[in-house]
Amino acid sequence: MDNMNTHVNLTIDLNRPLLKEGPDFLSHKVIIKTNEYAYLRPTITAMLFCMVYIVIGSCLIGLAIYLLIMSIKYDLVIFVGGFGIAITTFGLTLIQPFLRRASFDKTSGVFDNRRDRDVKLHHITSLQINNKRVQRKHALSYHCFELNLLTEHGRRINLLNHNNEAQLLNDAQLLAAFLNVEITDCRREIIL
Amino acid sequence: MIKIRALISLFLAGFSVNLLAEEMSEFSQSIDGISKTVDGFFNDYTGWFVGLIFKSVPVGEASFPIIVGWLLLAALIFTIYFGFVQFKRVGLAINIIKGKYTDPNSKEDGEVSHFQALTTALSGTVGLGNIAGVGAALAIGGPGATFWMIVCGLLGMASKFCECTLGVKYRTVLPSGAISGGPMYYLSQGLGEKGFVGLGKALAIGFALMCILGSLGGGNMFQANQAHAMLNYAFDVPSEYGVITGIVLASLVFSVIVGGMPSIASVTERIVPWMAALYVGMSVIVIVANIDQVGTAFGAIFEGAFTGSGVAGGIIGALIQGLKRATFSNEAGVGSAAIAHSAVKTKEPVTEGLVSLLEPFIDTVVICTMTALVITIAGLNTAPFDGGGLTGVTLTAASFTATAGIFKYLLALAVIMFAFSTMISWSYYGLKAWTYLFGEGKKTELVFKLMFCFFVIVGATIQFGAVIDFSDAAIFAMSIFNIIGLYFLMPIVKKELKSFIDRIDSGEIKSYDTKSK
Repeated sequence: MDNMNTHVNLTIDLNRPLLKEGPDFLSHKVIIKTNEYAYLRPTITAMLFCMVYIVIGSCLIGLAIYLLIMSIKYDLVIFVGGFGIAITTFGLTLIQPFLRRASFDKTSGVFDNRRDRDVKLHHITSLQINNKRVQRKHALSYHCFELNLLTEHGRRINLLNHNNEAQLLNDAQLLAAFLNVEITDCRREIIL
Repeated sequence: MIKIRALISLFLAGFSVNLLAEEMSEFSQSIDGISKTVDGFFNDYTGWFVGLIFKSVPVGEASFPIIVGWLLLAALIFTIYFGFVQFKRVGLAINIIKGKYTDPNSKEDGEVSHFQALTTALSGTVGLGNIAGVGAALAIGGPGATFWMIVCGLLGMASKFCECTLGVKYRTVLPSGAISGGPMYYLSQGLGEKGFVGLGKALAIGFALMCILGSLGGGNMFQANQAHAMLNYAFDVPSEYGVITGIVLASLVFSVIVGGMPSIASVTERIVPWMAALYVGMSVIVIVANIDQVGTAFGAIFEGAFTGSGVAGGIIGALIQGLKRATFSNEAGVGSAAIAHSAVKTKEPVTEGLVSLLEPFIDTVVICTMTALVITIAGLNTAPFDGGGLTGVTLTAASFTATAGIFKYLLALAVIMFAFSTMISWSYYGLKAWTYLFGEGKKTELVFKLMFCFFVIVGATIQFGAVIDFSDAAIFAMSIFNIIGLYFLMPIVKKELKSFIDRIDSGEIKSYDTKSK
């Protein structure tokens, strides 16, 4: 019973990025459509790179079907078809976040990113900008930036996650003005 | 009426099949023509370069390439100079990987665990060099080439230790925030500190040029070509369909290196260690299934190493092939690994050097030996060893298939994944060299990236000959510039090693209990 009455103090580390990875290009922009409605729009580039997988995968599936009709090399059909299905599935998984439109609607008073539980706009206390280094052993490592929102209950939700710092700062300003909340710059020096 | 319609349909179907067959035949001829043109071009315009890099001196009956001696001598000198670091400090290297000298509470975001570090290192070392390279070495050098590969792997550990330590020590943060390191930087900065500014710059430029060529050759065209050769062997895919393999691979490479999609790179990083495990697992199965022949196989390896029977050039011929393919596989002394290792998160450059020295051991001494045993046990590689029969990836694949037919499919899967991950790695090396020469910038980088993707298609499409010689020559040429610099800078590495060990002994560098993790 004592345990139930004990208040647990949780500390939220705003300096810690929410996501480990992030793309090496501009993935989303903030669009303020009206005074009542704002949303995050995926960039064409981001969509195109996802489409590469879907197109290549679909072509391989098509090739597998062609081979199935034209020849009796079933092992090749399975191999090509399997690769095709794997790549297409990967592309479809990749494009999902870009198809979900995260929006801030003042009319309904909620933020909905089609993934997390809806957040009441008046519960949003601030926006934070975080930076991180996406590190790879066998590829280029690069800086990446996050724009996260913080609710009064301590929830942190990622809004933007890409490597275009200037665009992210601009979008943060736009969104902060729209939501009438403050921005906390939690960028830090990353020392290797 | 229905009959007439059926006849017309049949005629049209027959006509379209004939038309398709004719078009495919023309397509095959044109691809064959392109292959010969590209091969001829490389032969005419780069033959002098290949001849220069592989300039040989007569030793007995064989011609011994000076470059092979250059690499072997360097590895020997580094081994002696660092007091046999690869044997004496192997325990220390394992402890670093296990995290004995890392404060468990200081782990920051983005930092990889020691297990991840080890699997990444392993996946980076296992590749087509272990599969196709060993096949090529044994086809030309006989089983004895294996012994010399092992020797080269053991000595090469010291070269890798030296270059990877320097790679971290002299890495630079570019204006974009990207970390850049590798021979370009330690050659120019390290030699600059010693008062050889001009020499350092010249070596760095020479290395960067060769690195770009190496990335397009061995790190790209060779990989794409062998990936298609494997498909050709496993599924009878005609050689002229290499263009399809090339386009698929190039598109995926494009999405990673041009698009910067983090997901495919992470997926590859996750899958490749499993592919490496799969390859090792298959090798173990073949070896265990033929355990009674392992003794004979080792006998053939040792006998071939010192007699060179059936090999053109005898013992020297076996030695040359062993050393060449071992270098191609473990890249020790070439300088490429120093580029990759320079991005690691560490305050102690020497720790990365120590971890990296395990790579030639795992790559060459363990995995290449396994491949060689599989090939020798299968008995498909017979004298005279002139490369006239099965060679490269097809020899290895045929040897695996001799034990179980399904292995060729699993090997095809592994080869494609290895080829893809190696191309991504080498695109990184090539890009680093490119930005060193031409500076950072979206446009200049895009030129290299597009060129790299184009060469993937070229590599998968054309028949090799002069192109593979050129690929080999470019990678070996990197070692000329790199090793000259290493000779100048090896005292710095020795000092770093001594300081690190002294601080461990004095307790300044704390050790942590790794068992409780």
